Amino acid sequence: MARLCWLAMALLWLVPLPSSGADRVIVRGNYYREASTRVLQPTVDVEVDVPDERLTLGTTYVLDAISSASIASGAAQVTGGDAVFTEIRHEVTGRASSRLGNWATGGFFRYSTETDYISRSIGAFGARDLLQRSLTLSLSYAYNFDRVYRIQNNTGVRAPWCGGAVDIARCQSTGTGIGSNLRQVHYVSAGYTHAWLKTLLGLASVELTRATGPLDNPYRGAQIPTSNVEIHPLARTSVALMGAARWILPKARVVLEPRYRFTTDSWLIHTHAIDPRVHLRVLDHLRLRARYRYYRQSASFICNESPQDDLDSGGQFFCTTAAGDFATADPKMGAFHSHTPGVQLVYELDGLSRVRGLGWLEGGWIEATYNHVFQSNRYGNARLGALAFSLAF
Amino acid sequence: MQRPSSCRPVGLLALCSGLVLGSVSCVTVTPAQRKELSQPEMTPAADAEEEVWHTHVEAAREAGFGGHGAAGGGCGCG
Repeated sequence: MARLCWLAMALLWLVPLPSSGADRVIVRGNYYREASTRVLQPTVDVEVDVPDERLTLGTTYVLDAISSASIASGAAQVTGGDAVFTEIRHEVTGRASSRLGNWATGGFFRYSTETDYISRSIGAFGARDLLQRSLTLSLSYAYNFDRVYRIQNNTGVRAPWCGGAVDIARCQSTGTGIGSNLRQVHYVSAGYTHAWLKTLLGLASVELTRATGPLDNPYRGAQIPTSNVEIHPLARTSVALMGAARWILPKARVVLEPRYRFTTDSWLIHTHAIDPRVHLRVLDHLRLRARYRYYRQSASFICNESPQDDLDSGGQFFCTTAAGDFATADPKMGAFHSHTPGVQLVYELDGLSRVRGLGWLEGGWIEATYNHVFQSNRYGNARLGALAFSLAF
Repeated sequence: MQRPSSCRPVGLLALCSGLVLGSVSCVTVTPAQRKELSQPEMTPAADAEEEVWHTHVEAAREAGFGGHGAAGGGCGCG
């Protein structure tokens, strides 16, 4: 669970946020549960203007506590048993941004560490408001440089991992290229947000990633009888297109939000995600949001030649190319689909702030979210929950 | 030679996006008209923290990526 996940998170921070006009702290607790894995993730985010939107500084701390039944992921072979184990990941981000007139710029640096993975990420963005700030165009870039390791034979010894195609004895934890455990990702995103009407907002983005280095899992090979090692290509290029809108119906106090995303990549995986949402203001300070997400993806080229991979049935999963040069036990390399209904409640604390002594709650909110994933492949169903509160100061 | 079927969704999406964006490319909503757009539920950036978490989970379970962010604006509409 902890492998590449943080990377996508890092990329999201490149999206320029509007100035809130107030310093703010957000404390959040995320919860994830599937058949063999549980994740608890507390986060704290603080952002301050010094002294105003011309310079905004922010920092985020994330703790990932991942408990996993290791035998299912092949880790029992290297940890020496099938006991549940907990892995901890720490992540710290520092960021700075500036808004000068119709321009916004900023950058960040992130460091993440866990037992067998170290990640560093650096990025920058620029955005320009046009048409009396009805339209915002943005461009961002991020570069990740990570080191991948494998924990060996229940000894706690950490060895570099250069990918399944590279002899582990020749793998180095320094340098670049084949024979190095360096994983690099270049990410470019262009964003578009436009007020099309006084009640309608349109959004679109194009994202491009290029990843090189070890892109397979050091532990999952135990599930592949033909190779005993997962072998993915050492490079992958991906493109994502997203379109969305938000349409408010003031009298009904309802916002309709359709979303669609399409991705394709050099491993021949095509994905579609339809994610409509409805926001309803139930009371003056209470908002309800309902969502339903449908996701579908095709199989990667590694699995295209394996007849058992068409819609993974939930059993043991692995597939190889006919030539045997690539092999995977990653369920997300096969074709599958999922359904995700979800609900969210947000209570705005402005009402309470009018009570004597509670003025400090003005601008604050409390948020509770639950999503349930019904997924057709070996990962199975999952539950996602989150509780968050925020205060302005 | 038949075109690969995988190109069709991309081409269709690009065409539709081009038509929509072309028809609204110069629309200006003045600041005085943005009362509704400034509501919290109309602000994409308000969901940023939640989207980070969803991105985290989806990256672990799915081969797709991205689609969780869009540019914030100065218009009071995120």
